[in-house]
Amino acid sequence: MIESLHRMMIMAEMHGRDLIRRHVAIGLLVALPASFYLSSIGEGRDAVGFGGVAMAFAVGGATVFSALSSSEVDQRLVMGGYRPMELLIGRLLFLCPFGIVISGLFTALMAPISHPHNPGVLLLGVSAVAAVAVAFGIAVAAIVPRELEATLVLIGVVGVQLAVSHTSTIAKVLPFYGPRLLIEDGVTGRGAIALPLLEGAAYGVALLVLSRLAIGPRLSIRTHRRRPPAEVVSVPTQPFPSEPSRSLSN
Amino acid sequence: MTTVVADRLVVSGVCKRYRHATVLDRVNLSVAGGEVVALTGENGAGKSTLMRICAGLLRADAGRIEVADAVGYCPQTPGLFGLLTADEHLVMFGRGVGLSRSAALRRGHALLDEFGFPVGSDVVTSEMSGGTRQKLNLAIALLADPGLLLLDEPYQGFDRGTYVNFWDHCRTWSAAGKAVVVVTHMLAELGRADRIVELPSHPALEH
Repeated sequence: MIESLHRMMIMAEMHGRDLIRRHVAIGLLVALPASFYLSSIGEGRDAVGFGGVAMAFAVGGATVFSALSSSEVDQRLVMGGYRPMELLIGRLLFLCPFGIVISGLFTALMAPISHPHNPGVLLLGVSAVAAVAVAFGIAVAAIVPRELEATLVLIGVVGVQLAVSHTSTIAKVLPFYGPRLLIEDGVTGRGAIALPLLEGAAYGVALLVLSRLAIGPRLSIRTHRRRPPAEVVSVPTQPFPSEPSRSLSN
Repeated sequence: MTTVVADRLVVSGVCKRYRHATVLDRVNLSVAGGEVVALTGENGAGKSTLMRICAGLLRADAGRIEVADAVGYCPQTPGLFGLLTADEHLVMFGRGVGLSRSAALRRGHALLDEFGFPVGSDVVTSEMSGGTRQKLNLAIALLADPGLLLLDEPYQGFDRGTYVNFWDHCRTWSAAGKAVVVVTHMLAELGRADRIVELPSHPALEH
């Protein structure tokens, strides 16, 4: 158990080191939702919703690329003693807090400009977007393990979530519905907090379960039958029966 | 009767097909501890596929693999994080086999030093030369001190001196009782292997 925790922490640390060194990507992580927010600021308080959900582009995109860029390493790590679940949790342990920090910075930008009724709930909503985006990015990378296709799925789902009204049926089945409601609640000061929070959490957990099921076959390592551990044995002097036809020399 | 070191790897009747192409057809191979086997064959003969099957990374369609020890696998293309340093890779892979941070670095540095790798360098792998990256790849395969080494063209990018040293290392590892399988196209050094096993090519793959 302790050893497993160590492995997860090491994975979180290494994912962190890898992402933190991508300076341009980090800049875009902040700039992308900020540009959505600032360009739609004329829409009044709707700009907060646009900017908040656009956070999913940034965090989800970073997660997809983090997961796909390490896909070659992952199987080798499993061969080297890691469990697939440890790789998944290790990635979450870095990406979720990282997304929440970005959410805090972004909320700090929006709050003085848009004057939300409840900045705390707004922060909760934007953080929920980031957390669900991490789960969504991991799931997309697990199910569609190619960068272009995965990015298109991410753009499609987040784009539809941004485009449709939150009262429409389509919006309600998409992953960022709960977090988007929280953002609306933070802006207006109306509506329940627990239900959308629960919806976002349930969606996140479901996406992670789906991810684990999807990456399982790809990361599984076949354990071969073990031969007896004896170092030295006595055998008759004769070549291995079926090998000479394949050997150039013996 | 003669006394030999027991087989560390036994491959019996292994078959593998990709769609309609047969890559491996009832392949048999045994490798004893203390033995260096060079695995050769034309492009598409299934050398890397066989290595991946033996390492447990790929499922064979038929046949059986038996191993007597931990397996160290060095893939043809290094599976490394582009923005992590050599030390960070050693710590990460070392933890997988239960090594503490300091133990992984100690053992990893000793291995890298043997290969002439600039130990302690904080250069990330994407900025390393191909040969330097491959040395790290090889050190990671050896980190857990496995008894069976599966090395899939591990010398790619090595300069001449390092390449020759690599075969010296193979002898050192075999002298320590390890079974070593090296996928290779380099005919000049085949004499340094104890045995050469050539995988036959398959007409279905030749166009």
